[in-house]
Amino acid sequence: MLEIEKLNAGYGRVQVLWDVDLAVEAKQIVALVGANGAGKTTLLRAISGMIAVRSGGVKFRDRDIAGASIESIVDLGIAHVPEGRRLFSGLTVRENLVLGGWRRNNRDLSRVVALFPVLGQRLNQVASTLSGGEQQMCAIARGLMSEPSLLLIDELSLGLAPIMVDEIVGRLPEIAASGTAVLLVEQDIDTALTVSETAYVLETGRITRSGSSRELLADATIQAAYLGLESQ
Amino acid sequence: MSQLLQAAAYGVVQGGLLGLVAVGFSLVWGVMNVINLSHGALAVTGAYLAWLLNLHFGLDPFLALPVVAIALFLFGYALQRGLINLVINAPIFLTLLLTFGLGLVILNSLQLLFNADDRTIETSYASQSLALGTVNVPYGRLAACGLALAITVGLAAVMTRTRLGHSISATGMDRGAARLMGIRARHVYAITFGISAALAGVAGTMIATVGSFNPTTTPGQLTLDAFVISVLGGLGNMYGALVGGLVLGIAESVGGLVLTGTWVNAIAMAVLILTLIVRPSGLIGKAQYSGRVEV
Ligand SMILES: Nc1ncnc2c1ncn2[C@@H]1O[C@H](COP(=O)(O)OP(=O)(O)OP(=O)(O)O)[C@@H](O)[C@H]1O
Ligand SMILES: [Mg+2]
Repeated sequence: MLEIEKLNAGYGRVQVLWDVDLAVEAKQIVALVGANGAGKTTLLRAISGMIAVRSGGVKFRDRDIAGASIESIVDLGIAHVPEGRRLFSGLTVRENLVLGGWRRNNRDLSRVVALFPVLGQRLNQVASTLSGGEQQMCAIARGLMSEPSLLLIDELSLGLAPIMVDEIVGRLPEIAASGTAVLLVEQDIDTALTVSETAYVLETGRITRSGSSRELLADATIQAAYLGLESQ
Repeated sequence: MSQLLQAAAYGVVQGGLLGLVAVGFSLVWGVMNVINLSHGALAVTGAYLAWLLNLHFGLDPFLALPVVAIALFLFGYALQRGLINLVINAPIFLTLLLTFGLGLVILNSLQLLFNADDRTIETSYASQSLALGTVNVPYGRLAACGLALAITVGLAAVMTRTRLGHSISATGMDRGAARLMGIRARHVYAITFGISAALAGVAGTMIATVGSFNPTTTPGQLTLDAFVISVLGGLGNMYGALVGGLVLGIAESVGGLVLTGTWVNAIAMAVLILTLIVRPSGLIGKAQYSGRVEV
């Protein structure tokens, strides 16, 4: 569904991503792991149109989306839950969710409330007063409101207690099964490789390993790669 | 005492009108972080349009309002789309310079077309007043103030209740996040600027109806008033602009009893400074425009 080939991208004159290849199939959960500064966020930004693609192809459902605007990529069915969540902090949970469905004029909260029941109890609460875990749920739910076929999640576990991470990650298979594939960027490598089917390891802007998550999890060198050490 | 009451009543109706001048200015500032120094020039453009419609077709200025609003909206939309969007990410100094220059171009063109004379739109009700005991309030001013109030309430409702309003406030809060929701920020900015210009045109028309205007001193005065009121009321807050306008109107009118004409700007600045000392976020306070992250 998403096919990235030989993608090069960066900021201004600084190139961050080098010849990145990556694919996500429909209803799949794919993990993207790597050390700090490897370029994971940059890759998600290049997919969702937040930064320009320098060269290479980004195909989504057989359409070339490299160079398309953020808004038109949302229209095509990609939702990006950005690093740091970027909720509209002064607005309520309900208002945030409705804004998530703005483009399709989707105001039906039932799907996301079924997924994260706690949000249902917090609908009239101002987003900035939610706990970190609830904020992440709200951010993911807001992304789902646009009924995407691909959801990009950046640093799901950032600043969250392990039990909260488990709870949110536990929802991902359900999200994928209902028709929204997930590309998950995660520092917590065990969590990421456990929930996903396929995974990619990004090291200083290049994909160095990829394949079945189960095999990668069993591979000791991955732990080294994650820590940013030289891998054999 | 009756002199004081009269001044207070005048201050209220004048203040409502000033609030209308400021509300669009405050909207643009709050949503896109642009201090539009051409705001007064846009208001005066609206005033000339209504004046022309009255002169040539005998159209009552209140009936001319829809025409003025639509014309100024389109003008504002085009200005933002074609010009201001180009420098929207530039340092604020550049947008200041651009809108200042834009204001100059507009008012020089108006001066070329209509010369620098003071103009006013003559109406039959301009000289009639509502007498409340010893206090007289001209009908025209009363209607202008009522209109300002209605527009402010209407705009606040649009912002909080409609799809368009949601897209404008979301873009003002965090443009990048709004774009990730599929909101077309450039279009939203242009709509916002168009609304602001339309409001300026309506305010200008009212000023031309209850008083007079010219292309040389009026634009600068209105921009200054709008600036003071926006800071006074709190940025991007519709009701803040109205409250700020009322405070300024009353302060200037009552202060005018003891001080002479040229001191009104000093009164405005004194009120502004006092407010900022007591409440740095403005009377109503800017609530949500903060985490502007560039994308
Ligand atoms: N806005 C930016 N402008 C310039 N350079 C940037 C910008 N954002 C990131 N970079 C640089 O790009 C490189 C990759 O950063 P990126 O944020 O993609 O890494 P990451 O893998 O997401 O790291 P983390 O795990 O810390 O979030 C880093 O060297 C970083 O300094
Ligand atoms: Mg990152």
